[in-house]
Amino acid sequence: MSEKYDAIIIGAGVIGAPIAYEMAKMGYKTLNVDKLPDAGEGSTAGSCAIVRAHYSTADGVAMAYEGFKYWLDWENYLDNVEDEKGLAKYMNTGSILLKSQGHDWKKVQANYDEVGVDYEEWDNDKIKKAVPVADLHEFWPVRRPEDPKFYDEPTKALGGGIFCPEAGYVNDPALSAHNIMRAAEAKGSKFIFNAEVVDVRSENNKITGITLKDGTKIDAGIVVNVGGPHSFQINKMAEGVWEGCNIKTKALRHEVMYCPSPDEYDYINDGYHMSDGDIGCYVRPEVGNLFLIGSEDPDCDPQEWVDPDEFYAGKGGHGRDNVLSEEQWKAQCYRLGKRIPSLAVPNQPKGVVDLYDCSDDWIPVYDKSDLPGFYMAIGTSGNQYKNAPVVGRMMAELIDACEKGLDHDNEPMQYKYKFIDRTMNVGFFSRKREINYNSSFSVNG
Amino acid sequence: MQIYVCVRHVPDSAASITVTGGAGIDQNIAFLINPFDEHAITQAVKIRDKIQGAEVIAICLGPDDAQKTLQSSLAMGADRGVLVQTSENHDSILTAKALKTAIEQDGSPDLILTGKESIDAEGMQTMFRIGALFNFPVVNNIVKFNIQDNEAIVDHEFSSGIVNRYKMTLPCVVGAGKALNVPKYPTFPDIVKARKKPVKKIALTDLNIETVTNSMTVVKLEPLLQKRNPEEIKGTAVQAAEQIVQILKFEAKVIS
Repeated sequence: MSEKYDAIIIGAGVIGAPIAYEMAKMGYKTLNVDKLPDAGEGSTAGSCAIVRAHYSTADGVAMAYEGFKYWLDWENYLDNVEDEKGLAKYMNTGSILLKSQGHDWKKVQANYDEVGVDYEEWDNDKIKKAVPVADLHEFWPVRRPEDPKFYDEPTKALGGGIFCPEAGYVNDPALSAHNIMRAAEAKGSKFIFNAEVVDVRSENNKITGITLKDGTKIDAGIVVNVGGPHSFQINKMAEGVWEGCNIKTKALRHEVMYCPSPDEYDYINDGYHMSDGDIGCYVRPEVGNLFLIGSEDPDCDPQEWVDPDEFYAGKGGHGRDNVLSEEQWKAQCYRLGKRIPSLAVPNQPKGVVDLYDCSDDWIPVYDKSDLPGFYMAIGTSGNQYKNAPVVGRMMAELIDACEKGLDHDNEPMQYKYKFIDRTMNVGFFSRKREINYNSSFSVNG
Repeated sequence: MQIYVCVRHVPDSAASITVTGGAGIDQNIAFLINPFDEHAITQAVKIRDKIQGAEVIAICLGPDDAQKTLQSSLAMGADRGVLVQTSENHDSILTAKALKTAIEQDGSPDLILTGKESIDAEGMQTMFRIGALFNFPVVNNIVKFNIQDNEAIVDHEFSSGIVNRYKMTLPCVVGAGKALNVPKYPTFPDIVKARKKPVKKIALTDLNIETVTNSMTVVKLEPLLQKRNPEEIKGTAVQAAEQIVQILKFEAKVIS
């Protein structure tokens, strides 16, 4: 059996689906293949789906802020397509970035000013009014509960925060990818599931297609790697691609916790997204009046780089498999317990363990490759969910331009944002770049 | 009044359990306080808070790692802990003897609480054996508890949902069921306080328990393989509902 498409996109998560959508709008006949049963079921489903704009670079802020405009107008973005599963909801809670030593908030504020992000400066009283359960002492530096100093009494107070009213989170990340899939299908895209790629084929230094595990060969002159935590495996399948990348990707294990909100605090209705570098956590509300507690990867926490196939099969043992670890449960919940002293922490861990597709400098690779016809949108490092619709458009334009002869490696494409008045040098995301030491080397991006 | 709560250090119910050597499990997983014991601790703390001078002591037979389970008990409000250290896994016969001896050496119990069972062995044995050794009355799976005039009035729930009320003279042993209360989980300030509470450690061998002649050993452990035969229910909502009722009535037999 041989089928022919203009482009095959490997992966149907929240980045893979919008690339198909935007390419279909440009007239490409696309096919997404995904090894899981439905769109967004992979690491997208494990995403916290936070939509915030604070990044350490102005370009990072700009891209995220451009993304806001898509989430705030979701139905229109989808061209009012119908999805039998319903539409994902953008929960526009606003986001508080606490001013702390854990974040370069001055840089963030300067970036907000440069990009024109709407924000307010809040003092501690204002924060306390918004989040009455919060204790605004400074607990820096971030430590682990195994360290006796973790329990030291705080003496100083924090100095307020920066509130960004347009931020929030998406209530169902897997559903958002499904929505984009339906929108793409309405423009002619095809999706197949339970389809694992085992080979990326090329001839005479040009992409020819892919081969699936069941032997099916599908031909296309363009293949895009959006394999999430499996991205490095896909790159290795394509001749010369992995070797041609200066920035590599690998899978990083990451735990997110669900801890019940104090009874007196209606977090699900009254709560904000909050980035708290002072305790190395970020939080957002979750159904059931829970705090979803993510980690900002403080230096004291272990990093577990794992084989994605082993991980998803539940192998690797304590702290490396797909079961929450009690140590990390305590670390993240107790840290938040300092900020919210009335937070009751159950003994039994509850939450999500999934993988980041992490690049060497925690900045994604949105690029072509050394193999003509092969492209990649990889290394999203736990912080690109919010950018997905922007990346979809940017990648589609990049692919289209390269296919029409652009020498992107030497004359990088300049991507003009659709909503905000700014241009992005796509060369910033090059696979050939040196490690960007301006990066936070964390989920903060 | 001294209230002893026997707590057990059990595998996290979410852990991937691997059988090793035919009769044991791979121990490289997280162990936590037995969830039913959380109800026992919560109840003990409630009783203590109403009685002046009362004290809650959490006691555990287990490895060094079981200190975590005692810390959880202390954070949930127990006043102090006793760890009877052993590196082996013991049957309920020896566990009951060890706990009884340790309790006797520590104080004089007016009330002993346990969870209704441990989620690993699910034996429901230890509380009855402790009761027999002390010659105290025992009621397991209690869903309501009151103390009046040196008597414990408890509601015991059968698996069928039938509830019987018993009166027992103190001291007695009760096994806490899930419906007894909502566990009161600790806040960070509770956790900080618990770090300063005393935990006494005694080696099992130092308890000088007389030789136990009877014992139970696990001969073989086998993972339960669940056979699933999914069937798709088709048709309109009304037809689907009818089919579901048929299945619940005649196949699952959960409604009549």
